[in-house]
Amino acid sequence: MTRRVRVHDIGKRGDEVLSPVSLQDLPPLPPPYDKMDEQPVWKEIKPEARERMVCNLDGVVALSLPQPETEEEKQAYVDRFEAGLKKLFTRENNWTFLQPLLLSTDYCVACQTCNDACPIYTMSGRNDIYRPTYRAEVLRRLARKYARPGGKLRAKVTGEDIELNWATVTRLYELAYRCTMCRRCAQACPIGVDNGLITHELRKLFSQELGWAPKELHEKGTMLQLQVGSSTGMNPVVVKDNVEFIDDDMSEETELEVHSPFDKEEADLLLIHNAGEMLAWPENPGAFAIVLNAAGIDWTLSSDEVGYDGVNYGLFYDDFQLARIALRHAQTAKKLKVNKIVMGECGHQHKALMTIADRVLTGDLSVHRESCMPLLEEIVFSGKIEFDPSKNDFPVTLHDPCNIVRNLGIVEPQRRILRYLCPQFREMTPHGVDNYCCGGGSGFAVMSPNNFTDWRVSVAGRMKFKQILDAFADQPGPEVKKYVCAPCSNCKGQMRDMLDYYGALEKSGITYGGLVELIVNAMVDVKEPFIKWEMH
Amino acid sequence: MSGSILLALAYVLLAVFVVAAVLRTVRIARLPVHLRWELAPVPKEKTRGRYGGSYLEAYEWWKQPREESVVAELLYMLEEILFLKALWKHQRRLWWWSFPFHVGLYLLAVAVGLTLVEGALAAAGVLSPAWSALIHGLPWLAGAAYVLGAVGAVGLLVSRLARPSLRALTTPVALFNLVLLLAVFVSGAVTVWSVSDLPARAAGLAHALLTATPPHGLPAALTTHVVLSLVFLAYLPFSQMMHFVAKYFTYHQVRWDDEPLVVGSRLEQEVQELLKQPVTWSAPHLNADGVKNWVDVATEEVER
Repeated sequence: MTRRVRVHDIGKRGDEVLSPVSLQDLPPLPPPYDKMDEQPVWKEIKPEARERMVCNLDGVVALSLPQPETEEEKQAYVDRFEAGLKKLFTRENNWTFLQPLLLSTDYCVACQTCNDACPIYTMSGRNDIYRPTYRAEVLRRLARKYARPGGKLRAKVTGEDIELNWATVTRLYELAYRCTMCRRCAQACPIGVDNGLITHELRKLFSQELGWAPKELHEKGTMLQLQVGSSTGMNPVVVKDNVEFIDDDMSEETELEVHSPFDKEEADLLLIHNAGEMLAWPENPGAFAIVLNAAGIDWTLSSDEVGYDGVNYGLFYDDFQLARIALRHAQTAKKLKVNKIVMGECGHQHKALMTIADRVLTGDLSVHRESCMPLLEEIVFSGKIEFDPSKNDFPVTLHDPCNIVRNLGIVEPQRRILRYLCPQFREMTPHGVDNYCCGGGSGFAVMSPNNFTDWRVSVAGRMKFKQILDAFADQPGPEVKKYVCAPCSNCKGQMRDMLDYYGALEKSGITYGGLVELIVNAMVDVKEPFIKWEMH
Repeated sequence: MSGSILLALAYVLLAVFVVAAVLRTVRIARLPVHLRWELAPVPKEKTRGRYGGSYLEAYEWWKQPREESVVAELLYMLEEILFLKALWKHQRRLWWWSFPFHVGLYLLAVAVGLTLVEGALAAAGVLSPAWSALIHGLPWLAGAAYVLGAVGAVGLLVSRLARPSLRALTTPVALFNLVLLLAVFVSGAVTVWSVSDLPARAAGLAHALLTATPPHGLPAALTTHVVLSLVFLAYLPFSQMMHFVAKYFTYHQVRWDDEPLVVGSRLEQEVQELLKQPVTWSAPHLNADGVKNWVDVATEEVER
C-alpha cells in the first residue's frame, strides 16, 4: 500500500483510482504458493474499458457501472443518492433495519478493533479503504451532513466534512462490494456496531433508490428467478428433466434405485436446493435423494416456479427482492401442505428463509423451516443406514459457511457427523462461529466480471486458502488426497474458483464438496466410491 | 463562583443530562421492530451457548423446549461491562488504556453515588457511625478513580494520535471527548490532593444539592471539578459516549434477538402494522408510488 487514505478523500480526484490494490501488497501464502511471480497475473482493465465504465476505487471493477455522458446525468444520480440516504433513515422506508442501522451509525467510537477481524482488510496488505470502518465512516458522515437537520453546519464545525459528488457515490458503490458481509467485524466490536450491516444498507440504498445492483445478483439473479423460476434460468420443465437425469446417473453409479419425488402433497418435508447444485454439483442433490430415501423420509421437491430454487440474492442487496422470493418459497410449502421446508446445503438460503424472512412470513405463510444439518444428523445417528467410516479415511476439514454458523448458530450437527464418519477429520483454525469467510460470500461467488475474480480469489479468499493449507500441513503433498467439506453452494463456488486458480488439486491434492456426499461415500450399500477426486 | 450560581448551574446541567439521556434512550427503544439479524454467540442458549450454538441446531426445533440461561447471559454481560472482555480478546493493545479509563469512570460513579447517599442521610438526620467511617474512605476511592481515569485517558489520547491505524479515523470530536474527560479526572485528582476535608466538603455539596441550599466557601479546586463534571454530564447524551446505553440495544435487541415469529403473537401484530406503511423508494423494479405499502410491493408480480 502506498499511502494513507482519509475519509474525505473518497470525494476527491474522481477520475483517479483512490487506493490501488495489487498482488505485491498481499501477505505471502504457505509453500508451494509463496512465490508471487508464479501466481496468476491479474486481468488488466484496458484504457478503453476505463473510459467506458467507472474504475476509480482500487483498480478492480466488480460492477461495470457505465460512465454517464453528461455532467447533468451524474448530478441526477448524486441527487437520487441523497434522496435515498434520507429514506434509509426513515421508519416508513426502512423499518426492516432502522434500529440496527442507527445503532451502528451513531455509536461507533472508532477504536478500530474490528479491523483485524476482517480477512479482506488484513489480507489486502491493510489497504485503508478495506477497513470495515472506512465505508461505515463515509456513510456516517454523509448521513449526518445530508440526512439530518443542521448537518452541513455541523460538518463544518466538527471537521467531519465530506462532499457528496459523483466520485463519492461511485466509489461507495464499488466499496459496498468489497465486503462479504461475513459479520466477523461485528462479532469483534465491543459495542456491537455492525459494519457488515452498513454494507448491506448501502447496497440496499443503491438498489432500492438508484436501481443499481450487480447484474449477477439482480437481472440474472432475483429478477430471473421471479420471472422464470430460478436464477440458473431453469424453468420447471428443465428442472424436472435435470433431476430425472441426476437420478438416473446416481442409480447407475451407486446401483441403488434413486428417485426424487416432485410435488408430493402432504409430504413431511419440502426440500429446496440451491438450483445451482443441479447444474454445477449434481452429485449433491443426488446424494440427498439417496440418503433421504435410504432413511425412509417422506419428502418432496417442488416444480413450482421459484419453489425449486432456494437462492435468494435479495438477502445481499434488496429487502423487497428478498421478501418477494421468500414469500414464493412459503407459498409453495403451503400449496403442497408439507409440514416443513428443509434448506439444502446453501448458506444464504438458510439465513434468508430461516431468520431474515421470519418476520415477513406472517399468518398462514409462517411455515416451519429448518436446516438440513440437524436433519442429516438425525438420519446418520438413527441407525437406519449402515455406515463404514473407513471408506472416508482421508484428511477432511470443514469450512463453516458464515450464514449457517456465525449468523444462525448451527455449529455442531455437521461436526458430529464428520467426527463419526471421517476418521481423519481436523478443524481449521479458527473455526465454528469464529471462522473466516470463504471470500465468496454476499453474492461474490457468482460475480466474475472484469478482474473481480482475481480480487475475489487473491484477496477475499486468501485467508481461507491459507487456513485450508494450514489444516492439511501435516500431509501437504499431492499424493495424499484431501477433502474440504463446504456445505454451501456459494462457498463451493468460491472453493472451485480458488482451488482451480492456484492449481491446488495438482499441487496439494485438495478438492472440495458438500457434507451429504461424504455421508453417501460412507454408506455400506454404496459399493463404489462416491467422492471423485477431481475438480468440478 | 457564588453558591447560588453554582447551584443553579448544577440543576440546569443535570436537567439537560437527565432529559437528553432519557429522550435518546427512549428514542432507540421505540424504534420499530426489525428483521432478525442475530449473531452468534448468543449466551442465553443454555448448553449450546458456550460454543456459539443456537436452538436452530435441534431437529424440528419448534417442537423442542427453549433452554435459556439467564445466569449465562448475566455472566457474559458482567465480563463485558466490568472487564471489557471483547476488547481484551480482539485488541489487547488498546485494552491496557481503555480498561483503567472505564474502571476510573465506574469508581467515580460509585464515589458520586456514595456522596449523594451521604448528603441524603445527612438531610434526613440518620447518619450512623458505620456509614461515617465508610465515607472517610471516599478520598481513596475518588483518588483511585481519578488516577486510573487520567492514566487511561492519556493512554487513549496518545494511542489515537500516535498509532497511524487509529489516527486515520479519529475525529476532532473524539479527541475533544477524551480531553474533556481528562480534564474531569485531573481536576478531580487535584481536588483530592488539595482539599484536606474532602468527605465533609463533598457531603456538604451533596446536601446542598438535595436541599436546594446554596453551598458556600467551596475550595476553588472542588468548584472547578464539579463544574467540569457537570458540563461533561450535560454533554454526554449528545455524544458517542452514550454507547454504554446503545450497547444494551446492540446486544439484546440485535445480536441476541432470536425470537421466532409465532402466529397470533404481539410480534406478528407489530410486523403486520409495519407492513402497511407506504413505500417511496424510487427504483423502477419496485414500482412503488408512495401509496402502495410493503405488502403490495412485495407481492406484486414482476414484469416478465
